[in-house]
Amino acid sequence: MATQSPTQNQNQGAESAEPAANVDQQGATEEPVKQSSTPLVFVNSEPMREEQVQNAVKFLSHPKVKGSPVMYRRSFLERKGLTKEEIDEAFRRVPDSAPTVQTGGVTQDGQVKSSSNIQQQAQPQALQPGLPASAGVNTSSATLSRSRFHWSHALIAIGVLAASGAGTAIVVKNSILPRLKSWIRKVVVEEDDEELKKLDRKPTLVEEAAQAAKSAAAAAADVAKASQDMLISKEEERKHFVEVVSLLDMQVQEMKSMTNALRRIEDLRVTQTNTKQLIVNGKADYDLHSVRSTSPPVSYEPPSSLHPKSYMEPWEVSQVQNSSTQVPHAQGNGEYLNSKVQDSTQSNGDGDDALPWWQRKNARIREIGNETEYNGNGSSYGVASNQPPPQRTWVPPQPPPIAMAEAAEAIRRPKPAAQKDQMSDTQSVGNSSDVSDEVTRIPRRSESEGAVEGGSSSSIPSTVEIQEDQELRRE
Amino acid sequence: MPVFKTPFNGYSVKFSPFYEDRLAVATAQNFGILGNGRLHVLSLSPNPSQPFTEIAAYDTADGVYDVAWSESHDSLLVAAVADGSVKLYDTALPPTSNPIRSLREHTREVHSADYNPLRRDSFLTSSWDDTVKLWTLDRPSSLRTFKEHSYCVYSAVWNPRHADVFASASGDCTLRVWDVREPSSTMVFPPHELEVLTCDWNKYDDCIIATASVDKSIKVWDVRSFRVPIAVMNGHGYAVRKVRFSPHVRNLMVSCSYDMTVCVWDFMVEDALVSRYDHHTEFAVGVDMSVLVEGLMASTGWDELVYVWQHGTDPRAP
Repeated sequence: MATQSPTQNQNQGAESAEPAANVDQQGATEEPVKQSSTPLVFVNSEPMREEQVQNAVKFLSHPKVKGSPVMYRRSFLERKGLTKEEIDEAFRRVPDSAPTVQTGGVTQDGQVKSSSNIQQQAQPQALQPGLPASAGVNTSSATLSRSRFHWSHALIAIGVLAASGAGTAIVVKNSILPRLKSWIRKVVVEEDDEELKKLDRKPTLVEEAAQAAKSAAAAAADVAKASQDMLISKEEERKHFVEVVSLLDMQVQEMKSMTNALRRIEDLRVTQTNTKQLIVNGKADYDLHSVRSTSPPVSYEPPSSLHPKSYMEPWEVSQVQNSSTQVPHAQGNGEYLNSKVQDSTQSNGDGDDALPWWQRKNARIREIGNETEYNGNGSSYGVASNQPPPQRTWVPPQPPPIAMAEAAEAIRRPKPAAQKDQMSDTQSVGNSSDVSDEVTRIPRRSESEGAVEGGSSSSIPSTVEIQEDQELRRE
Repeated sequence: MPVFKTPFNGYSVKFSPFYEDRLAVATAQNFGILGNGRLHVLSLSPNPSQPFTEIAAYDTADGVYDVAWSESHDSLLVAAVADGSVKLYDTALPPTSNPIRSLREHTREVHSADYNPLRRDSFLTSSWDDTVKLWTLDRPSSLRTFKEHSYCVYSAVWNPRHADVFASASGDCTLRVWDVREPSSTMVFPPHELEVLTCDWNKYDDCIIATASVDKSIKVWDVRSFRVPIAVMNGHGYAVRKVRFSPHVRNLMVSCSYDMTVCVWDFMVEDALVSRYDHHTEFAVGVDMSVLVEGLMASTGWDELVYVWQHGTDPRAP
């Protein structure tokens, strides 16, 4: 970096403010000569987007926007992503608003003038068909200009409204009113019918009385019939009862005869023992039938055993898939955790060494996340430890709560705390000067720039630097 | 790992480009809203009982929002103060003669300061008055004022490869790339839909820039094709306050956020988050990676603590 700046200083005067908007896009390729590529790289080399420019012109032509400060309009367009050239072009097209900043962009005069002429020609054409009598007028030029067409649009709207109003009036007259009238007539007719029905009901009272008398006589006749039926049924029941009694007598007589016959048979029992053996054989046939019924349920078991196996397979397959995807994640996390653990262990090991405790970690952070390099860098630690003076003991610093209490006091009383710090600062400055004399290391820069006068190199101890600072103060 | 307790809320921390063990911390009282400020210059010591020694501490009338080490003098510091002034300090001089210069030109709080690493004679300050100013050490007034943003400019960072190019991130949601030799900005595009709080150039690739915003995301862009970002890194829970590319590893960057974490990212990898440190108990607003010591990083936050640790180790481990 130190060698580049002098060459850039020399070429600063040679380069003028080149508007690079229309220059080729050379920024993509790195050029060996960096001085000439600087303005090309850091400038927007896109072509102008006409659509964006038109949107910007619409925005700027809005009356509300015209009342706002110019700075706000510019910043709004910038926030929308327009480039400087597009914004400048939009400001150029809307002549009322003036851009605040002078731009160095190249003006495309021919194209700008032609586009503005087209817009001006479109506007007078739009005025002629601006008196519409009906809505069927097609204005092709209406699409070009915007502001002049408000009048014609308003007239067209009025015509449409009038036509629609007339149409609705006609429709109402033709269809709705007759319906209303018919509906009214129906209501009136219904009312008349109801009145007629009421008159018919009056002369029927006398007839109803005669009918009531007739019904009463009929009811009396029915009652007489019912009573007669009751008497007949009773007589029939008596007859049935007599018949039943006679049958019972018959059965009693038969029973007596049966008992007499049984007594005669008991004498002959000894000779009838063969009939019992036949009854026992009939019962054995029923047992054989029950054994056959148990066999069909046994055959259902094998198909049921197959089903659980078929369900296992897709489940197992999905389980296998899940486990396989989780494994690499676990491995990745494991590696990251391992790396962190290694970091902490190695940092604990470094607590032994002194001065550049922060330097020790240099070799380790070459590539992050690469475990193999950690082992390789362990050897470099041994090399680095030779340089600083060894200090084996390392006591941890003071715990934070104590520091917090001091800070709380300091906040409550800032002024006395500040005075105390100034006292301590004077002491620390004296200490720092001693330290700076002991430091013999040379800062990076071997050459000095124009700001530092004289050929003072940084190898000179701090006393010369103090003289230089005093010179600066005098200036 | 050493921890330093500042009396005020931390705002920014920067490693010295000359000394490996030196860093500067910018702090402000009452979270930077109202009150004094203090600039600490700390030195890391090998003595384990006292890991930090305070070389210098300078009080200011208003909070210090940012600090920048000079690249030409090893004892010079530039402080961005909330009252609109830019103060120069020299640690080699006694505290009574500090600040050696107080530059008053900004009309509102100065939010960031950055020293030119190539020319080494000039520095930028960006302010809430929508401007970026260019200064040199020898002049009492600014060389140039860049006024194109329409809201607070939160950060202005020099390109580490091109001495005259810098980028500015602003609350008007745009990022502008400037060339000091040009009269106006050379590029402007909106990296985020919300305010862009910070930006930083890649130290190895001169056209790659990272931006971070209130929308909790960090985006890495190539300025040659700025319509689509190279990488978008989500992971922070709140607005990202600061982003820094590593000076040693091409793809590595560190960010700190209002979600109290400091995250390290590798933007060329699909899963960009490399590590996350949640050692702060308040907003983490300042982070830096050392140029001289690879992997050494420091962070500070509104919990009034400054941590210095190696990447890969636990910042709170003793």
